[in-house]
Amino acid sequence: MKTEWNQYDPGSLYDELIAAKHQPREASFRLVEYLRHLTPDRFRQCVQESEAVIREMGITFTVYSDAGNIDRAWPFDIIPRIIPAKEWDCTEMGLKQRIRALNRFIQDIYNGAHIIKDGVIPADVVLQSKGYREACLGMTPPHGVWANICGSDLVRHSDGVMYVLEDNLRVPSGVAYMLENRNITKRVLPEIFNTLPIRPVSDYPAHLYEMLASLRPDLDDPTIALMTPGIYNSAYFEHAFLARQAGLVLLEGADLSIGKDGYVYMKTIKGLERVDVIYRRIDDEFIDPEVFHPDSMLGVPGIMRAWKEGKIAIANAPGCGVADDKVIYAYVPDMIRYYLGEEPTLPNVPTYVCRRQEDRDYVLEHLAELVVKPANESGGYGMLVGPHSTPEKVEEFRHLIQENPNNYIAQPTLSLSVTPTACEIQANPAEQRRADDPQTRIRIAPRHVDLRPFILSGKDIFVTPGGLTRVALVEGSLVVNSSQGGGSKDTWIVGDVLEGEEI
Amino acid sequence: MLSRVAERVYWMARYLERAEKTARLINVHTALLMDLPGRMEINWYTLIRLFNADSLFREHYQRGDETSIMLFLIADRNNPASLASSLANVRENVRTSLDVLPEEIWEQANQIHLLMTDSLPRIADRYNRQIFLREVMKHCQCIRGALDSHMSRDHSFDFMQIGKHLERADMSSRILEMTSLLLSEGRSDTLRKYDGIVWTNLLQALSARQMYLQHIHSRVEGQRVMRFLLNDDVFPGSIGYCLSAMGRRMRYLPDPELAATMAQRIFEHLQAHDLSTIPAEQVHTLMDYLQVELGVLHGEIAKTWFYPDHVGQQQSQG
Repeated sequence: MKTEWNQYDPGSLYDELIAAKHQPREASFRLVEYLRHLTPDRFRQCVQESEAVIREMGITFTVYSDAGNIDRAWPFDIIPRIIPAKEWDCTEMGLKQRIRALNRFIQDIYNGAHIIKDGVIPADVVLQSKGYREACLGMTPPHGVWANICGSDLVRHSDGVMYVLEDNLRVPSGVAYMLENRNITKRVLPEIFNTLPIRPVSDYPAHLYEMLASLRPDLDDPTIALMTPGIYNSAYFEHAFLARQAGLVLLEGADLSIGKDGYVYMKTIKGLERVDVIYRRIDDEFIDPEVFHPDSMLGVPGIMRAWKEGKIAIANAPGCGVADDKVIYAYVPDMIRYYLGEEPTLPNVPTYVCRRQEDRDYVLEHLAELVVKPANESGGYGMLVGPHSTPEKVEEFRHLIQENPNNYIAQPTLSLSVTPTACEIQANPAEQRRADDPQTRIRIAPRHVDLRPFILSGKDIFVTPGGLTRVALVEGSLVVNSSQGGGSKDTWIVGDVLEGEEI
Repeated sequence: MLSRVAERVYWMARYLERAEKTARLINVHTALLMDLPGRMEINWYTLIRLFNADSLFREHYQRGDETSIMLFLIADRNNPASLASSLANVRENVRTSLDVLPEEIWEQANQIHLLMTDSLPRIADRYNRQIFLREVMKHCQCIRGALDSHMSRDHSFDFMQIGKHLERADMSSRILEMTSLLLSEGRSDTLRKYDGIVWTNLLQALSARQMYLQHIHSRVEGQRVMRFLLNDDVFPGSIGYCLSAMGRRMRYLPDPELAATMAQRIFEHLQAHDLSTIPAEQVHTLMDYLQVELGVLHGEIAKTWFYPDHVGQQQSQG
C-alpha cells in the first residue's frame, strides 16, 4: 500500500495520524509503517474479513425509513484512529471534571436551584429544557449522581484542540460498537498489537456492572436489569450485547410490575422476583405512564414512586436529561466554575445563544458561516451547516430563529479533524463500498471524525480509554451519524513505546 | 462391545476435546496478550508451562518467542499435546471405529485433517493462524453435534462421554493451575492492574464467561471464578460437573464400582475445600493433586473396561 500512502495528503486539515504529507505523527508511526507494508491484496483481504466478521457477529443498527425498518450492517473502517496517551490523560481529567459539574448541576436544579438564584443561569433556560421533569423535585439519587452513563461528543478543530460538542446524558448509545470495533481490529490486524502499547477497552462491561451495583450500596448482590424498549429499537443490538457482556437481565417494561410493598418485581417462572437496579435504555418520558406519557406501553406504572422511595435505583436517573440541552450546554463552563471552583480543562465550542439579543443579531448577520442547532434534537437532525448549505435553506433558518429564538444556538463551523480512511476509487463515493470486487482499487483518503468517550459515574468515575470514533464516509461531509451515512473506527490510546519492547 | 472399540472411542473423544480446548486456549491467549503491556508474568511462554512442556520444548527450540511456541503447540508432531498430534489421533481413532460411529464423523475428521495440512505453512502469520484456530473449533463442534444428535445412547456413547469429561476436567485443572500466578501475593503491580481482564480471558478460554456472568451475578473476581470453575454444578466445564457426569455414565456400564467410587472420591475432595481461604501456593498443589488423581482414574477405567484380562495393560495412547 506504499503508493496509496504516499499519495495521502490531508492538505490544510488537521489529521489525527499524519502531521503532513509523508509524515506520520509520533504515536502513529508504527501503525502507518505497518499499513504501508501491506500489499493491496492483503489490505483488501483485511477489509473483506472485517465485513465478514460484522455480518457473522450480526453487528447491526436499525434505520427507520418510509420503506420500513432496515437492519444495516455496521459500517466500519479498519484503519484505527490514534490518540497519544499523554494527551488522553488530560482529556480524561477534563471529562471527569465536566461530569462532576453536570451531576452537581442536576442535583441542584431539583434541590433548591441555587445556581439560578445566584444568577449564573436564567430560570427560563432551565425550564425550557425538554429534559426537565417537575416530578423529580426534591429527589436525591444514590451518591447524588444523576447521569450515571454519559457519552460526550468531542471534536478536534484545525487548531489541534479537542472541544466538547455535546454531552449525551439521556440514553447515550454506541459503547457496544466501541467494544466490537476493537474485537474486529484484533481479528484483522493482529500483528500490529505486537509493537504498540494500546490501552485495552474490554473491561467496560465490568465497570458498567460495578457502577450499577454501586447504586445499591446497601445490598451485597443486587439484581440488575437492563430495560430495553424492545427489538424494534435502533440500539437493540447494543442492549442485548451489554446485557450479555455485563451479566444483566435483559427485560422490557411488560416484564416488570410494582408489588404491594412498592418494590419492583420481574415476572419469572418461579414467580415474582425483586429487581434492585434498572439500567434503562428508554427515555424517561416513557418510563412511567402514571407520571409521564399516559399511553406509554413501554413503561411500568408506579415505577417513579418506587424510585422516589429508594426502592429501585434507575440509571440514568429520570430527569437527568435536563442538562442534555444545547442551550444549557453553553453554560457548562460556568457550572464548572460555580460548583467546583475550577477552570474547565476541556473547552466548549464557542456558542451563541439566540435568546440573547446581541448573540442573535450576530447569528442572523453571519448565518451563512455558522452551524445552527435546535435545542432539543439529536442524531444530527434539524441542523443548518451554513457553509455547506443553500441560500434558501439559510433563509428558512432565519425565519425559524426569528420565530423561536429560545430554541436555537449557533456555533462557528469547525473544521473537524480528519484521519486516513479506506475508500474506493469511484465516481460516486456515496455508493456502498465494495471491497470484494478485485477491480476496485482502494484508496486512502482523509475523512472527518469525531469521538464519543463514555463516562460512568456511581460511587467512582470511570472513563473509557478512547471511545467510539465516528467517521463521515462521504468525502467532505461533516455528518458522522450512522443514520446518515457515517461509519466508525477503532480508537487507540497509545502509550510511549519502550525501546526494544515486544508484547 | 469390544474392549478395543471402547478404548478407541474413549480416546477419540478425549483428543477431540483436547484439540478444541487447545485451539481455543491459543486463540484466547493471543487476544489477551494484545491487551496486556509487554514484560510481565503472562507471556507466550505461559502456554508452554500450562502444558507442562518445558523440557520437551527446550529440547527442540532455541528461542521462546511467539513463532517457536506456536509451531510447537500447533504443528509439531514431536509434541504429543500439539494440535496436530491431537487431530491426527482423532482421525486415527475414528478410522478404526468406523463401524460404531455415524458416517459423517469420518468425513469431518478428514476435512479437519486437510484443513490442518493446508494451513500449517501459514500459521506463523498471526492473522492466518487466528482464522485457522477458529476453523478448527468450528469443525470440532460439528463433530460433537453429529455425535450428539445421531448416536444412540449406547455404550459407545458412554465411553465417549467419559473420555470427554475426563479430558475437560484435566484441561480445566491445567488452566486453573495458572491462576496461582494470578492470586499470588508477590505478583507485579502491572498484573494487578489487569486482574479483571486476565480473569475474564481465563473464563473465555474455558467458554465459561457468559455462564459465569449469568449465574454468579457479580463482577469477575478471582475467588469466585475459582469456585465456579471447580464446583459449579450446572456449568458443564466445571471440574465438579465433569466428575459427577463421569460417575453417572460409568454406572451405565458393567462393573462400574471401583472407577465410579474413585470419581466420587475426587469430587468430594474438591467439595471439601473452601477456595476463598486457600493461599495461592495451595491452589497449585490442589491442581497437581487433581491431575495425578485424574491419571489414576484413567488407569482404573483402562483396567476395568479396556484390559479386563490384565494382560498388556498399558497406556497405549496419551
